[in-house]
Amino acid sequence: MIAHEAVGILMVDDQPGKLLSYEAILEPLGEKLLKANSGREALEHLLHNEVAVVLMDVSMPEMDGFQLADMIREHPRFQRTAIIFISAVHLTDVDRLKGYERGAVDYISVPVIPELLRAKVSVFAELYRKTQQLERLNRELERRVAERTEELRESESQFRSLANSIPQLAWMANAEAAMLWFNQRWYDYTGTTLEEVQGGGWKLLLHPEYVSRVVAGLDRCWAAGDAWEDTFPLRGQDGTYRWFLSRALPIRDASGHIVRWFGTNTDITERKQAEEALVKSERLAAMGRLAGIIAHEINNPLEAIANAFYLLRDHPSLDEEARYYSRLAEEELSRVAHITKQTLSFYRESRHAVPVSLSEILDNVIELQSRRFEMNRITLEKQFKTRGTVQGFPVELKQVFLNIIGNAVQAMPEGGRLRIALIECSDPRTRRKGVRVSVFDTGVGISREHSKKIFEPFFSTKETKGTGLGLWISKGIIQKYQGTIRFRSVRFAKGNVTCFSIFIPAAAAIESPELAGVLVA
Amino acid sequence: MVKSRPVILCVDDEENSLLLRKLVLQKAGYEVLTATSGKEALQLTDSRTVDLIVSDHLMPGMNGTELAQLIKAHFPRLPIVLISGINEIPVGAHVADAFLSKIEGPAALCKEIASVLTSAGACAT
Repeated sequence: MIAHEAVGILMVDDQPGKLLSYEAILEPLGEKLLKANSGREALEHLLHNEVAVVLMDVSMPEMDGFQLADMIREHPRFQRTAIIFISAVHLTDVDRLKGYERGAVDYISVPVIPELLRAKVSVFAELYRKTQQLERLNRELERRVAERTEELRESESQFRSLANSIPQLAWMANAEAAMLWFNQRWYDYTGTTLEEVQGGGWKLLLHPEYVSRVVAGLDRCWAAGDAWEDTFPLRGQDGTYRWFLSRALPIRDASGHIVRWFGTNTDITERKQAEEALVKSERLAAMGRLAGIIAHEINNPLEAIANAFYLLRDHPSLDEEARYYSRLAEEELSRVAHITKQTLSFYRESRHAVPVSLSEILDNVIELQSRRFEMNRITLEKQFKTRGTVQGFPVELKQVFLNIIGNAVQAMPEGGRLRIALIECSDPRTRRKGVRVSVFDTGVGISREHSKKIFEPFFSTKETKGTGLGLWISKGIIQKYQGTIRFRSVRFAKGNVTCFSIFIPAAAAIESPELAGVLVA
Repeated sequence: MVKSRPVILCVDDEENSLLLRKLVLQKAGYEVLTATSGKEALQLTDSRTVDLIVSDHLMPGMNGTELAQLIKAHFPRLPIVLISGINEIPVGAHVADAFLSKIEGPAALCKEIASVLTSAGACAT
């Protein structure tokens, strides 16, 4: 603070001698002294100078002190300016003085005592100075408050637009771990309101299996002030769960105290599904390789045994009974051969596409499923109008039709009709020539709700029985052939008809199988 | 009589399999020579008249497909049937006249051989 800043003292008297004597008295105060010989002159000074105190004679010609005071008071700038009247003691004057309720007003009687005048003026000057300083300080404070408010508003709006533009769900909690704020994406995903998720309400959105782990982990980090990370499913507003990688960081003030927790939830469902699909397909591929090795190890001795029984068949040294046993053994052996051919023939396919007859593949699949047709009382209707030759890899094509036909069979636990049609046609969209396989069943049908998801990985209606990968893999294979796989499920009064239709161009340029050696479900 | 019994060269590194296959083919009326490797088979085709070769695919050293390629390079008209335990159609196996899985059984093998011999004969005439 500045020690002494000179303020204006306006002295008003019609007598120059008095003005000179006031000047002499007030000189030691070191203030800025202004002299006026009349009310008019006084007003002139007031308009051009900052005046802390007006010292005026009450009795002046033209305009007396009280009139001048009234005029000064009328001006908004001078309503609080200190006025010291100098006058002989008149009762009427004291009464009039009381009329000035606002502003600092004092009164000095004549003869003027220099010390008293100096003291009074000095008090008012000091008061003015202090008031000025205070006002300056206030203004400065107000300016800084306004600035900071603007900065805050700006940074808050920046923060909000950032928080709402990131692909993550985001939230903030206070130091006591009470939720304060969530970004728009959080509300969009969860379909909740702030009221619903405050006070621990967010826990209801966690998958029940993960609640205790997540809460314990958060509590531990919140108590220690450590960053938190966990991965768990969160329920969306449609009721399905998606996987989120969740993180929270403490935000500290300058002294290191935690003031906020800032958290994000990143949707990693697709990454997780892809990882799981990869693990599964790798596992299946490994099983396929194993099947190939087993097939080889079994097939070699199997051939030798089959040849031995073939030689025994009509051997003259055997009697009737021995030939009968030999014939039985040969029959059973052919069953073993059949099984290894059907189930262990997940050999590595050749690296180049070969002509594949879809009618043969379908016949093969039908044969594999024939026992299930019988058990489920399913009648089969075959309409093969062509051999349906395409360039491809027999194993993966067989896998596709095993999946589609297997699904149809599973959709008809109470029996039904299965129609498999094979025709040559051209794709209505691309006009490419190719082969269409249509598989109709009269089973349970596909609900509208499920129909959007059936080609997604891990979607299964078969509870624990299905991997949920069948149609996803099938679609992947068909797409590789630049083909299409579509379905329709129609509800009739008599029951449902569901049709899966697969189009494969006759000559698609395809590479070696990516999902070779996938076992039959 | 000699003319009516075609000579088949049977190649396999496993002796039991080779012996039993030979017996099956003899029973089917063929004269059968055997070799336990591709190299031995090539030597035999140089010294003997062979009407058809039946070779295992998976053998140490030269595999059946490699043998088929060499045979076709030297004797383009000598038919060769490949058999395998892993149902796999090996790369390059198309040079052979037929490819058969071992578990198709003896009857299928004989049928395939007869059909290959017939079409080879048709080509010769």
